[in-house]
Amino acid sequence: MSIEIGIDIGGTFTDAVCRDEDGAFRLLKVPSTPDDPARAVGIALDRILPGAAAEVARFLHGTTVATNAILEGKAAKVGLITTAGFADVLELGRMTRASNYDLVFGPQTPVALVPAERRLEVAERIGPDGAVLTPLDEAGVAAAARALAGQGVQAVAIAFLFAFLNPAHERRAREVVEEVAPGLAISLSSEVDPAVREYERSCATVFDAALKPVLDAYLGRIEAMLASRGVPAPLQVMHSRGGLLGAAAARSRPIRLTLSGPSAAAIGAASVLREAGCPAGISIDIGGTSADIAVIEGGMPVLRGDGSVAGFPMRVPTADVLAIAAGGGSIAWLDAAGGLHVGPHSAGADPGPVCYGRGGTQPTVLDASVVLGLVDPARFAGGTLALDAAAAETAIRERIAGPLGLSVEAAAIAIHRITNAALTEAVRRMTIGRGSDPRALPLVPAGGGGGLHAAAIAEELGMTRLVLPVAPGVLAATGLLEAPLEHDASMGFFRAVESIPEEALRDAIAALTARCAAAMARDGVEADATEVSADASFIGQGHTLEVAIPAGSETPGADLRAGFIAAHRAAYGHTRDAPVRLVTLRVVQRARPRGAALIASGAAAGPAGERRAWLGGDFATAHIQRGLAPGESLSGPAILETVDSTLLVPPGWRLTATATHLLMERVAP
Amino acid sequence: MTAARLDPASIEIIRRRLEAIAEEMQGVMLRSAVSPIVREANDASASLFLPDGTVLAQSVSLPLLLGCLVPAVGRMIREFPVEEMRPGDIYLMNDPYDGGTHIPDVSLLVPVFAEERVIALSATILHHQDMGGLTPGSVPTHATEIYQEGLRLPPLRLAREGAIDAQIMRIIARNIRTPDAFEWDLHAQISACTTGAARLAELAAKYGVAPLEAMLREQVRLAEAATRAAIRAIPDGTWRYEDQLDNDGVDLDRPVPIVVTVTVAGDTLTIDFTGSSPQVRGPVNAAPAGVMAGAFFALRAVAGPDIPNNGGCFRPLRLVLPEGSVVNPRLPAAVNARTATVKVLTNAILGALAEALPDRIPAANAGVSCIVSFGGRREDGSPYVVTEVIAGGSGGSAFGPGVNGISTDVSNTMNQPAEMLESDAPLRVHRVAVRRGSGGAGVHPGGCGILREYEVLRGPLTLSFRGERHLNAPRGALGGGPGRPAEAYILRAAGGREEIRSKLSTVLQTGDRLVMGTAGAGGWGAPA
Repeated sequence: MSIEIGIDIGGTFTDAVCRDEDGAFRLLKVPSTPDDPARAVGIALDRILPGAAAEVARFLHGTTVATNAILEGKAAKVGLITTAGFADVLELGRMTRASNYDLVFGPQTPVALVPAERRLEVAERIGPDGAVLTPLDEAGVAAAARALAGQGVQAVAIAFLFAFLNPAHERRAREVVEEVAPGLAISLSSEVDPAVREYERSCATVFDAALKPVLDAYLGRIEAMLASRGVPAPLQVMHSRGGLLGAAAARSRPIRLTLSGPSAAAIGAASVLREAGCPAGISIDIGGTSADIAVIEGGMPVLRGDGSVAGFPMRVPTADVLAIAAGGGSIAWLDAAGGLHVGPHSAGADPGPVCYGRGGTQPTVLDASVVLGLVDPARFAGGTLALDAAAAETAIRERIAGPLGLSVEAAAIAIHRITNAALTEAVRRMTIGRGSDPRALPLVPAGGGGGLHAAAIAEELGMTRLVLPVAPGVLAATGLLEAPLEHDASMGFFRAVESIPEEALRDAIAALTARCAAAMARDGVEADATEVSADASFIGQGHTLEVAIPAGSETPGADLRAGFIAAHRAAYGHTRDAPVRLVTLRVVQRARPRGAALIASGAAAGPAGERRAWLGGDFATAHIQRGLAPGESLSGPAILETVDSTLLVPPGWRLTATATHLLMERVAP
Repeated sequence: MTAARLDPASIEIIRRRLEAIAEEMQGVMLRSAVSPIVREANDASASLFLPDGTVLAQSVSLPLLLGCLVPAVGRMIREFPVEEMRPGDIYLMNDPYDGGTHIPDVSLLVPVFAEERVIALSATILHHQDMGGLTPGSVPTHATEIYQEGLRLPPLRLAREGAIDAQIMRIIARNIRTPDAFEWDLHAQISACTTGAARLAELAAKYGVAPLEAMLREQVRLAEAATRAAIRAIPDGTWRYEDQLDNDGVDLDRPVPIVVTVTVAGDTLTIDFTGSSPQVRGPVNAAPAGVMAGAFFALRAVAGPDIPNNGGCFRPLRLVLPEGSVVNPRLPAAVNARTATVKVLTNAILGALAEALPDRIPAANAGVSCIVSFGGRREDGSPYVVTEVIAGGSGGSAFGPGVNGISTDVSNTMNQPAEMLESDAPLRVHRVAVRRGSGGAGVHPGGCGILREYEVLRGPLTLSFRGERHLNAPRGALGGGPGRPAEAYILRAAGGREEIRSKLSTVLQTGDRLVMGTAGAGGWGAPA
């Protein structure tokens, strides 16, 4: 019997799931330990290990360590070696500020990570065609390396202009640094992010270098933890693309871990959709302070290449997740003119909503949910926190209902409607805003709040199906089990595809494919899928579109050109027969896991009474149910209360359980 | 349905919808535009209007474009009354003497129909790469008349019931340097406007036209009330701030005074530019649409960005723009370089308000968005124009030091990466650096300016340089020191160094270099 374990670190909880060969699973949540995240992993591991550590065939881990090191300024001391004249590119960034109307603001670039004295210049220059204009001053590199080592850096980033077209100078500089200052972590911009625009590339490179010592230490601890408990499975970690990497690959490119959290949840949603027979859908993960919306197409999360962490550009492929400030803790408030708003401010976990009874005074979405009968005050969070319904009602009466001349219930409904609208806008942006029709897509709610708002969002957008995971509260952990092992390699071009011989493109694709295959081999697997794609634009455009190129194509250039011209029409409604600029060429290889789907335990809990609740429209008497066995169904108005979430089934909706998921369908308008 | 009986949740839901529609329009426009200043500097904006020309929502974009569609839309609906508009119509204009800002900014409007009448207007403004005139990019620093700045388009009906007037397009194409780029960017604007119109029509279908219109008017009323409340929170008083532009770009030795008197009385704010320079020969005159953006920015910055950004916010504001002055010129004054003027006058408004709100408003920022434009031909004969906008520092404040090299107040533009510039034009960038020591001293020092150095790889090319703060330093606050003024010069390959006195159009030859440093910002608090 072989088992698989996934452990995912979240902001509040560290979730663990253990699945055996036939899909039966156990899960648990332990409080995260932000001061030392590995501690919670150890606790979770000890509690979920079934006693037979030797049977663990796969151990998969999602970690926030890389992201937190950036957010909290705890990355390693790093220096930058760059082209003469350009040391301040990293400080000046793109010259913009995040907020248009603020008069007072701080630095918008990572100057604190790499202050001026650790940004050193060397003579060298490569031109926009990749030709060497000024040879590398190797003595200058050696002097810079010595100076940085003398300042006590643990890591060095090397980022030269146009290195994405010609990496020779960066590679030689690495050799020099290794000779002069052995033992330092080194990252090259031509390897971390081989694409045009020097600030974004340098930014990715310095963070990659600065995260290497942090990740190396952290992954080492997890590996030691596995070894000490006799777990034979190698450590694999989730990266931002939504795939898994072996620990060695993660150590060599830690920036790939920075946006992995939302990707794991999106992968979890993709696998639930797959069980339900849907290749595409929208997932919405609603927590206390924010909601994450992701798009799944072709069985995988849709990716983007321009994420950010702490406001710094992090140009690594990542699940294209839209995060908005809307959740159970979002505060309802009146402006000076009496206009009602909800969020973006949140009561957070402390003091939390008024009904927590921890000193919160401003009414929140959760307080409205209590007033509306949607959440049972005695059973919140599995009954671990008794909610004060009277306090919630008083806060809404005094702060919202009274001033607006509404009843408490009408005010609570208004708060819910506004929250639903904010969530709906976000889903709309990710669907209609991108030219896709949400009515054809299922919605996957997750997180503690997903089930409270999903039906309202679906009704507003004309969506008629919800697909729910069997364990919506630990979607990221279950996503780990479903994620493919994946490697990708890319090459920057930034010139007209018409000017590049087909043979050169074929060779480039072959070289990138070989790099992926070698990486797969190092993780001990063989790819079962290879994808070739390119980011392209018309000459002069700033935004690129990703275009797939058939693997094995004899004419990748012509395919790209035709594909781009069609993709441009699809995306923007117009196109033209003009030269197409190849910006980045990319190959991805993946190997899918072969585990069974999670199977619900199947114990029917039966009806648990009824309660007056607002499920949209008018108040109704809702049936309350605490579980649903496979094959059973439930018609609205009803509320399904499980340990980690609450699902509203409004009138006109019907919920059906299968072994692997719940399906909720609109049966009447 | 009266305003008092409108449901508060629906009002807020519609507000979010309107803002989302404006953002969707902005996205459509930005993604498909080709003009580099649009794609790198966000120099385009989308808005929705009531049929009477009141703004309902505006996309987040360059604040210099805040509210600047208001006069353009007002003029277009005066010329073409909404009662006579038909579905599929498109209107456009750019004339700074008819509601525009400067000639490269073309405004485009599409009516939104429901129940067979116009219920709203969907509009965009976009900085086009070239609209003809003296120099590539249509921002000639030595222009002395609007006729030299490019093609003026009065309010025109570009399309009737979906059919674009080919004659208008031919006239434009004959008068500009990059007609392909113009057509492309115009289509980006049209796509954005029709997207906005379709979304509003969906909203009307969902809520019904009359209830929707009541809720739209309520948005405006709420924003006005919230803005008035914010103004009431500022102590009453009158404050004056005097500043000046280095020169007008033509008469290089004559400064151009900008004088503003700001009065808060109860819930109204009056911004009066009486005392500012009469209109000048050079192109730094600002059409009222540009001045309004500066005033709107200052109002928004002090009233709080939480207030919905619609026409209601503007109602408590009274602007006094003396006719024939640098902030409200008469024909045929040149107006292309208004950015410098708007930045200096925005600084002046904030400087005046700082007397009422010393803890909230920082020392003067560098007060400049230096605009540098290179135009010429590549080796294969194809023409190019690349434009850079380069910031200075932000001012020190009660909260901390200023930031080096960052866009401030009405500007929030991206720079051009050296790698993009060198790929697009025969230029080599030799230096991109913080101009150390240029920030004003203080308990919280001002941010430093930026140094950049370019070499021409293939001349001749036309350089258009629009600097500011070369001759006037940004002031410190509460005893803080001034920022160091800007400087710029040309190093000729043939030998010799030519100082740039803030503004210049010239021809550079192969091997010539441009070296420039923007101003630092004022410091805050007397240094120890």
